[in-house]
Amino acid sequence: MKTLVNVARYHLADRVTYLALPWGILAFSFLINVVISGRLPSPQGDYTGGLLTIYAYLLVCGALSMTRALPFGLMLGVSRRVYYLGTALLIVALGAVWGLGLTVLQAAERATGGWGVGLHFFRVAWIMDGPWYQTWLTSFVLLVLFFWYGMWYGLVYRRWNVVGLVAFIAAQLLVAVVAIVTVSTMHNWAAVGHFFATITAPALIGVLAALTVALGLGGLATIRRVTI
Amino acid sequence: MTPTISATALGRRYRDQVALDNVSLTVEPDSITGLLGRNGAGKTTLMRIVTGQEFPTAGDVRVFGEVPAENDAVLRRMVFVREEQTYPDLRVGHVIQVASWFYPNWSEELAQQLLADFELPLRRRIKKLSRGMRSAVGIVIGLAARAELTLFDEPYAGLDAVARQLFYDRLLADFAAHPRTVVLSTHLIDEVADLLEHVVILDRGRVVLDAPADDVRGTAMTVSGPVTAVEEFVAGRPVWHRQRLASRASVTVTGPLDNAAQARARALHLRLEPLSLQQLLVHAAGTSADEKVSA
Amino acid sequence: MPALDEGTPLFVQIAEQLADDIVEGVLAEGARVPSTNELAAYYRINPATAAKGINLLVDEAVLEKRRGIGMFVAFGAREQLRADRRKRFAEQFIDPMLAEARRLGIDTDTLVSLVRGPGWHNGGDTP
Repeated sequence: MKTLVNVARYHLADRVTYLALPWGILAFSFLINVVISGRLPSPQGDYTGGLLTIYAYLLVCGALSMTRALPFGLMLGVSRRVYYLGTALLIVALGAVWGLGLTVLQAAERATGGWGVGLHFFRVAWIMDGPWYQTWLTSFVLLVLFFWYGMWYGLVYRRWNVVGLVAFIAAQLLVAVVAIVTVSTMHNWAAVGHFFATITAPALIGVLAALTVALGLGGLATIRRVTI
Repeated sequence: MTPTISATALGRRYRDQVALDNVSLTVEPDSITGLLGRNGAGKTTLMRIVTGQEFPTAGDVRVFGEVPAENDAVLRRMVFVREEQTYPDLRVGHVIQVASWFYPNWSEELAQQLLADFELPLRRRIKKLSRGMRSAVGIVIGLAARAELTLFDEPYAGLDAVARQLFYDRLLADFAAHPRTVVLSTHLIDEVADLLEHVVILDRGRVVLDAPADDVRGTAMTVSGPVTAVEEFVAGRPVWHRQRLASRASVTVTGPLDNAAQARARALHLRLEPLSLQQLLVHAAGTSADEKVSA
Repeated sequence: MPALDEGTPLFVQIAEQLADDIVEGVLAEGARVPSTNELAAYYRINPATAAKGINLLVDEAVLEKRRGIGMFVAFGAREQLRADRRKRFAEQFIDPMLAEARRLGIDTDTLVSLVRGPGWHNGGDTP
């Protein structure tokens, strides 16, 4: 238990990567969006995908935690399992805290009418536009999901290098293509459309959470035979 | 007493090469063992398997009686300082601090002393350090951890002779004050020969020598002098090497030579020179893989 | 730092150097002998080797262990060592000298006068 915490502390020692940059990037993206909204206002309010930048960054962070930070981590006398879990739990903790931060910012955005320029930066259409606890939960799950997904990418790269990475991406695309083809051949687009129309945000959170857990387990299985 | 490390028929093969082949050895607690051999002999692979960083393809290894791979209880009792260690992008001081959290026997006092001895800049980022200084960081961690099993794999890349001697002195001093099991792999053999209690030589993935250092010293002697006298003296002894120049000869034979033999050599005006550990290694590594050097 | 040669086992050399010190009186009887760790640090060798060297002298009753305090030179050790060395003196020094003298054709009388006086300057026969 103490070791898990120490693994988390190890990552956090890199304050730039784990504290300064995420919020720095978010702030930068936000400012750009505010300026643009101020200059070019649109009547219904701007729904930007600006928040996506933070998730993309976490993907990269996750990958780095399993590539750049791994060799020294394992040198410190922890098993791969403990290293992975410690890292995974770090982002769970950070995700909870940051999710709360995003929720607060969303409330502020709502209160100021989009920061006075009608910007919907923290209010992402539909999935993060509801009650505060829903926003919190959604942000939390998404933050963890992207980081854990990134961890898996990092591990695939470690074990199988660029070739493996490409194969990993190709495999996922293949799965998506197969799904699309299957639905098409079964002429079930109507059902799919119905599904997405009727699914509630909480249910979607549940699906995302399940996906996150699956990604986490995938990474855990991959790290078992990683050598440094 | 349970050996600290116990390898049985350990093997590791890669697609195009055999790194370790049928390696069986034990390392006793509270000793300094030298793991010697040429580059590519398998020293690093062996140490990586012992520390769970690599997996064997044959045989098995036990550390403190248990399988080391993915075994947190065992892993926390070890520290492995590698030749080229990748560090995260942190300052030297942070790296040392992080290490201190993980080792139960960590000595902050020793760490500070070593940091001063090696003149390491705490505030500089580790990736900006010279190769020698990076090696010094590894040594600081390796020694201050005071781990029950401490492994050094050629830890002095880039360190000059003065810094190396500092390492040996500090290692010896701390080992004497806080005994632990040390395995040191090196090809600067003559520098560490006197530190070693036990010697293991690997060649092409196999163990060619595994003996107490005292036995190894004097394993072979070079006898030089006039040809006839030399040949008369070495008659009946296993010869390792023969060299001639006109009427002088230099023959290396299996030792040790007892007092009587030494006296006889003196009487014949022959010069006796024992083979150093380094020369022994050169010979052992040159020997066919099937022959074991008997000590 | 004293040089340690390659031939004799290290621990034997350690024992010999300690014995030398005792015979010469540098290390007095009843005096404390450097500890294993001190010897190891001084000679830059493994402590186990230093311990072996000390044990060699303990076995010969040249050193004795006093529990909790350390290793000490036994009383009578100096005489004991000197007696041992006297016994070996002939084999170690005289025999090689005689062999060399014979080889160079130095006769016994010359040899004796060499032993007695400062050597050639006494007007001994030059070979």
